[in-house]
Amino acid sequence: MRDLGAEPPPSEQQSTGRLFSDVGAWRAILLAGLAVTLAFVVTALPIMVSGRNPLLAYWALLRGAVGSVDAVAFAFNKSTPYVLSAVGVAICFRARVINIGSEGQLAVGGVAASWIALHLSQLPSLLLIPVSLVAGGVAGAVWACIAAVMRIKRGVHEVLGTLMLNFVGTLVVSEVLHGTMGEPGAGFPQSPLFPQSAWLPSLFPGTDMHVGIAIAVAAVVATHRLFWHTPFGFRLRLLGSGDNVAAYAGASLVRGMLQVMLIAGGLAGIAGAIEVLGVHYRLIEGFSQGFGFNAVAIALLAALNPLAVLPAGLFFGFLEAGALAMQREIGVPSSLVFVIQGLTMIFVLCAMGVGFKQQRI
Amino acid sequence: MDATVLIELLSATVRIATPLLFVALGGLLSERAGTFAVGVEGMMLTGAFGGAITAFASRSLPAGLLASALSGAAIAAIIALATARFRADHMVTGLAANILAIGLTSFLLRGLFGGKTPVIVLPTLRPLAVPFLSGLPIVGQVLFDQPALTYAAFLLTIPIHFFLMKTRAGLTLRAVGENPAAAFSVGADPIRVRVAAIVACGALAGLGGAVLSLQELGTFTDGMTHGRGFIALAAIIVGRWMPFRVMFGCLLFGAASALALNIQGWGLPVSSYVIQMTPYLIALAVLCGIGRRARMPAAIGKSFTRS
Amino acid sequence: MLEMRGICKRYGTVQANRNIDLTVPQGRILGLLGENGSGKTTLMKVLFGMVAADAGTIIFKGRPLTDHRPGDAIAAGIGMIHQHFMLVDAMTVAENVMLGWKRAGLWLHTREISQLIRNASKTYGLDLDPNAVVGDLSLGQRQRVEVVKAILRGADLLILDEPTSNLSPPEVAGLFLVMRRLRNEGRSVIFISHKLGEVLEICEEVVVLRDGEVTGQCLAANATRSDLARMMVGRDISALVQRPAFESRKEILSVDRLTLRDRSGFERLRDITFSLNEGEILAIAGVDGNGQAELVDVIAGLKSATSGRISLAGQEITSEDVRARLTAGIAYIPADRATTSLVPGMTIEDNLGLRDFDRPPLRRGAWLNRVAFRREANSRIAKFGILCAGPNALVQTLSGGNQQKIVVAREIGRRPSVLIAFQPTWGLDPGATRFVIDEVLSLCHGGGAVLYVSSELEEVLTLGDRIGVMFNGRLSRVFGRGEVDMTRMGLMMAGHDEGPDREDGGKS
Repeated sequence: MRDLGAEPPPSEQQSTGRLFSDVGAWRAILLAGLAVTLAFVVTALPIMVSGRNPLLAYWALLRGAVGSVDAVAFAFNKSTPYVLSAVGVAICFRARVINIGSEGQLAVGGVAASWIALHLSQLPSLLLIPVSLVAGGVAGAVWACIAAVMRIKRGVHEVLGTLMLNFVGTLVVSEVLHGTMGEPGAGFPQSPLFPQSAWLPSLFPGTDMHVGIAIAVAAVVATHRLFWHTPFGFRLRLLGSGDNVAAYAGASLVRGMLQVMLIAGGLAGIAGAIEVLGVHYRLIEGFSQGFGFNAVAIALLAALNPLAVLPAGLFFGFLEAGALAMQREIGVPSSLVFVIQGLTMIFVLCAMGVGFKQQRI
Repeated sequence: MDATVLIELLSATVRIATPLLFVALGGLLSERAGTFAVGVEGMMLTGAFGGAITAFASRSLPAGLLASALSGAAIAAIIALATARFRADHMVTGLAANILAIGLTSFLLRGLFGGKTPVIVLPTLRPLAVPFLSGLPIVGQVLFDQPALTYAAFLLTIPIHFFLMKTRAGLTLRAVGENPAAAFSVGADPIRVRVAAIVACGALAGLGGAVLSLQELGTFTDGMTHGRGFIALAAIIVGRWMPFRVMFGCLLFGAASALALNIQGWGLPVSSYVIQMTPYLIALAVLCGIGRRARMPAAIGKSFTRS
Repeated sequence: MLEMRGICKRYGTVQANRNIDLTVPQGRILGLLGENGSGKTTLMKVLFGMVAADAGTIIFKGRPLTDHRPGDAIAAGIGMIHQHFMLVDAMTVAENVMLGWKRAGLWLHTREISQLIRNASKTYGLDLDPNAVVGDLSLGQRQRVEVVKAILRGADLLILDEPTSNLSPPEVAGLFLVMRRLRNEGRSVIFISHKLGEVLEICEEVVVLRDGEVTGQCLAANATRSDLARMMVGRDISALVQRPAFESRKEILSVDRLTLRDRSGFERLRDITFSLNEGEILAIAGVDGNGQAELVDVIAGLKSATSGRISLAGQEITSEDVRARLTAGIAYIPADRATTSLVPGMTIEDNLGLRDFDRPPLRRGAWLNRVAFRREANSRIAKFGILCAGPNALVQTLSGGNQQKIVVAREIGRRPSVLIAFQPTWGLDPGATRFVIDEVLSLCHGGGAVLYVSSELEEVLTLGDRIGVMFNGRLSRVFGRGEVDMTRMGLMMAGHDEGPDREDGGKS
């Protein structure tokens, strides 16, 4: 007979504690929607404090986001780096690796792509662009690996490691702009304009929307496939489930961490490349600002589900695009959008904490 | 290197370490009780904002200081609620709070002033020379001719140390961070202790922000903390979660920054941006050097559930 | 001093305590003897206020104790030393004692408390240094810190729950000395254990529990080991299954002098030696915590032994990892479903492929062969009768029995040459239990060998072709089925060694 005074076997605890019958994607969507709505409601308070009408503000936000073809194109462009970096962060979190270094990885990715664009400008467009993108990806992957190695070899927590590297990465951009890649005589730290052959083509002629979003979509689909349909992805899911079961099934923590950071860094690096090749057409100081934490927020909102990162990232991108319009028209500062993002994250985290955990692992 | 340069460097070290020290001491309390203090950057920024706005509006420095502590505590309260009560993940909640703080401070800065970025100019705190002691060679100028908040920060290390090590409440706090079940078995409430620690952390980190906006720069600008909160976190690790060692950790990073600032005038063939990187690189190097020997509170980051 | 009358406690469908009466006079060391599930820990949790009894009364020092919590029990004078210590490793002995103790003052009176500790140390022979860091102390010393905590808070009755499970013999002797001194000072001790020898050595009176009831009560001086063992485990076993007599076949697994020392240096496995033949079941009984978990983990490859060798079909596999052993043909059903053998958040299909996902047929090139996953899952679900909404359902939606079926389907379904089953019927209803046993048997009929480790005595006695008992990290002499009965098993499980003929090593 079992010793019933002792703790019930862990399986009992699990199944009696949190039993969800038929947990589906709908639940995750509902949760995300709820968190966002709540965030908007709460954010109405500071808007009112500043003497503005929240409804007018939100209406301006909406119009700024989707009100015209140009607005939509702008929003898609804005969403692209978010989606790319967030999908990498999502699989990192799935493997219990907390990577907040997208900003630094994006920055060095931009630097690498810029270097290629400026120094290999004799290449035809068909080669120049892919090479630049790949260079960006490699740079970002290497940057992420530094943090991973520090964690593996010296136990430096990846939060602090990736964070510090964010700052260093941004400074690398400034450094090269004041040195070898800077445009002499420019009033602002920036590189010379890239040759047209390096510019990302637009997806729909006549609009500003560049092919970056297509790359982002491809990345999302590829990551989804990788995560759910390969042994590699299976191993990541095991790593995220716990040390015991990972050991039982033979998944190595060290290899998994390195692999997942490489991917995330690579994706963020490509995002950086897209920014310089498709939005600014040059390397400018501060182009990577703010991407790190947003990626985390988007990944959370998507419940760490690669496919869901697309709508979540688009949401953030459209939100920020609209916020700029909102600031212009109503005078509500665009930084409000960070408030919404921060609150959304917190609400999602609370819900996850009390048991609405991400569903299928 | 002649004496004046040295004195200036050391003096700058102490000065720059001051905001770090407030934040690090606060973070120390939170982490010793078992919650990663990742949100201190947001707490610091909010404190800087609250202090600046209040001092600007009320023309009263004490009001500004109080407001800074309360602002930081407010952000901390949100984190405390989410992590202790809702069992949200510590790391990511802290990050979320940082985002929230950036947005909120940025927004309110404009929102409270009719939508345009105001120009806030505040009188910064002047150094207060300690009579007689400030006359000592070198040490006098470095240690005893600093603004009031600097004295406050360094002196604060003493009561924090005694609180943690010599009082029963501090003992309980440390136990909650090491083995909450053991603390629970002798009648403590780990959740309440953690919430209190996080809020205290917020107040102190807010004061750290006040040092920036009220003592150093006399204004508030978007994101002015610029990662100092995270450097403070590194200082906590360097100081192995002990108050006096954390103080030295802050001085270490203060020295790195002071060096970075001053070195530009020395005409070395190193670009200013590389120099700006040094505090972060040093932080990483030190963390790597300490490696796994850093023994953090055993139960840090683990939610406590009453079973 | 203590009088418990008619204590009843039910957990779900199981009656953990049935009308138990217990009386402890002052100045007495009383032993509470029983195996896993006898109800002894529940009874003490009721006494200490950690759980509320369904019925019954408790009178302590003349005053009734009802609806009380641990804080009230401590205040009344009851101290409990749990099996798993509630100590802060990073702090000193003095700090641990002062934790949560009002007497220590707002500003810690460390010196005063340290002196108290030293005094108590001397009186009771505890040999504790107040300034020592608990993390550096041995398990025996840490236990004594818990004792001094209880004494200084004024405990007149001390409850020790399986206190010797992690102690070396000299530490056990030390503990007994302390207990005697406590008794001499007029305090009482309740000594909960499954170890006969110790109970007889230190206790003056023994109460035996089985299946939630008191099956015996006597003075230690009058009791014989056999009597006590019978009271502890004796019951009717309905033969679960008729097993044909076993003819010896080829040896498939050989374990030689396996030893495992854990991080604190304590020997969890001592010189384990045995062999396993094709088609046979070697069943190992024993009370939890005597090294079984370590043994199965080492053989399955999740832990590395400190010394010793393991060979499979003649090849040495001692340093092979989990995957290699799996490929070589060792399947493993661990005791813990939720965190080791299954991922509750994954689908049934994925869980069935948990161990083979990066090999064909589940893998095709760089991709998972989802078609194969589905095919395997469907066939296993049908074959093993797993009740579920389909292969896409999450495992956490299944009952415990069905979850275990998945593990069984996965591990046994691959027809391994050796199956290690650890507590495979834990938490299962009779139907599911039957299923698991049937599968194990069919594996044997097909030539597979099984190492069946369980604290379920019926299963061990009826399933095992050969039977051994683990106690304190050692494996007893291995008997053939029919050579050993309940009483003898009880004796071995309680630590009464069989004597000199252990060189045999179980290789029969």
